[in-house]
Amino acid sequence: MDENAARARFTRSLKEFWMAYSSQKQAVAGLLILLLVVAVAFLAPYISPYDPNYLGDTLMEAPGRQHLLGTDGMGRDVFSMILHGTRVSLLVGVISALLSGMIGTLVGGISGFFGGTVDAVISEIIDIFLMLPTFFLILIIVAMFGSSMLNVMIVIGLTSWPGNARLMRAQALSLRERTFVIGAKVIGESRGSILFRYIIPNGIFPVIANTTMQVASAILTEAGLSFLGLGDPNVVSWGRLIYDGRAYLTSAWWISTFAGMAIVVTVMGFYLIGDGLNRVLNPKLRDERQ
Amino acid sequence: MGRYLLKKAGAAVLTIIFVLVLNFFIIHIAPGDPARILSGLDNPSPEVIQTLREKYGLDKPLQVQLVTYFKRVIKGDLGHSIVYDRPVWTLIKERLGATLLLTFTSAIIAFVLGSLLGAYSATRQGSKVDAALSFVAYLLYSMPSFWLGLMLILVFASWLKILPTSGMVNLRAPSTGILHYLDVFWHLILPATTLSLVQIPAYYRITRSSVSGVLKEDFITMFRASGMDERKIFRKYAFKNAILPTVTVFGLHLAYVVTGAALVEIVFAWPGMGRLMLGAIYRRDYPLLMGIYLIMSLSVAVTMIVVDILYAVLDPRIRYT
Repeated sequence: MDENAARARFTRSLKEFWMAYSSQKQAVAGLLILLLVVAVAFLAPYISPYDPNYLGDTLMEAPGRQHLLGTDGMGRDVFSMILHGTRVSLLVGVISALLSGMIGTLVGGISGFFGGTVDAVISEIIDIFLMLPTFFLILIIVAMFGSSMLNVMIVIGLTSWPGNARLMRAQALSLRERTFVIGAKVIGESRGSILFRYIIPNGIFPVIANTTMQVASAILTEAGLSFLGLGDPNVVSWGRLIYDGRAYLTSAWWISTFAGMAIVVTVMGFYLIGDGLNRVLNPKLRDERQ
Repeated sequence: MGRYLLKKAGAAVLTIIFVLVLNFFIIHIAPGDPARILSGLDNPSPEVIQTLREKYGLDKPLQVQLVTYFKRVIKGDLGHSIVYDRPVWTLIKERLGATLLLTFTSAIIAFVLGSLLGAYSATRQGSKVDAALSFVAYLLYSMPSFWLGLMLILVFASWLKILPTSGMVNLRAPSTGILHYLDVFWHLILPATTLSLVQIPAYYRITRSSVSGVLKEDFITMFRASGMDERKIFRKYAFKNAILPTVTVFGLHLAYVVTGAALVEIVFAWPGMGRLMLGAIYRRDYPLLMGIYLIMSLSVAVTMIVVDILYAVLDPRIRYT
């Protein structure tokens, strides 16, 4: 019976959450963009008119009926390449943001909940990390250790967690004073168990909103790396298309232009969702809803 | 205030040490044995490798090497570029001016425009102008700086042919006097515009939310009730209070700006550190690469501390918490 009550309460709060979220036009727009992007990523091979690696006979053909967004300098269909590039961007963005979210949650949770010296040391490390120009760190590591997609994802994840850690730490600091946490302590639950059962589940929401935003910045980072020629050479990515198209900027403007537009739309989708979540979760911002 | 300053200075020193250690370890775990690479031959003799190791101190324990590295960097010796065969610091010094010019010009433009637009939006919340500005802010926020740069080149240089696409000076223009400065300014327009545009959203958003926050405060309502002129309330009381958080954005976004600047430099062939770095990556010039990274992290760390202190000077509440 207790379980049923808990479930009902969960459903109710989920409903409330959705009401608050869906009342924001921007946030709904972001969700629609995300759905579109995910659909494209899954369906890329079925909806692409050409194989993205197929070298056609017409080089640098302008956008038209044959090739919706034209062809590149080697005769490949730009539209098909952009559709396939969705997979790379989404994969890199989501995996590295998840990694960063997990590390951030753990580090921040431990720091805020344990307090004392642990907290002092970890906070200092977080502050230092927040000051580093991470893009260059990623750049150097990728340049030295190879630019496979896996490397890129891991490096982005490992360098972008401090923001999440700071959010989680603040949550843990306030949660550990709450009655239910103190109660669990009195009963004799271990600190690790309290951390995972009470602190993290109750404090994770701001981290989720921030992680959504980080998908966006990870996509931008990957694009930046590819633009510098440091992307995974074996995959078609949007950044790489911009990089390739740069050489043809005056003769075939469509290569870089459309690839960049794909980035802008996708990244904006994640920012809109992240902002929407933040507004729902943060009562202070709720009044600013438009 | 003294305590606050001391704490901030401590944080700066810690950051600098951390960056140095990080740099050192990245060099060390990087694939490839420098002694083997330096010995060059397909089948180098063990004696040559041994001699090289001893010469560069590579046979010493790691902590000894770390201390040597620290001592060298403190003396201003960042190592020797493999490709250019010149000291890394000299190479960086030559490019620093161009990078600083681009970074600061764009940061100031973005700061002024972004906060003005944000304040404007906040006073007209819910209006069409506000909605349009917010949308443009999202759009610019989502744009890769290098792509925006390419698009501006496409429009203003390739199609309209009114602005130069690359470089910092025209080789045929005079290299001194007022004409020289005009020439540099002419070349600066596109890269600075690009870099300002991608920074504006950050200032716009923080100013908009902070001004709208202040406008809801009781003392503003009080002024309104007393019949004070709306514009006077805004100019004299709301704006001053609301602009403070914008200053922190200036510091927090610095790392991001430095990144953007490097990418934009590469797009516009602006002769700054970004381009130097790109060359170092392509040619695997590790000493140069690490030197640039070190200088960039140090300047970001130092500027952030300065901004923190500035903020404390402007807002007494910070000092005492």
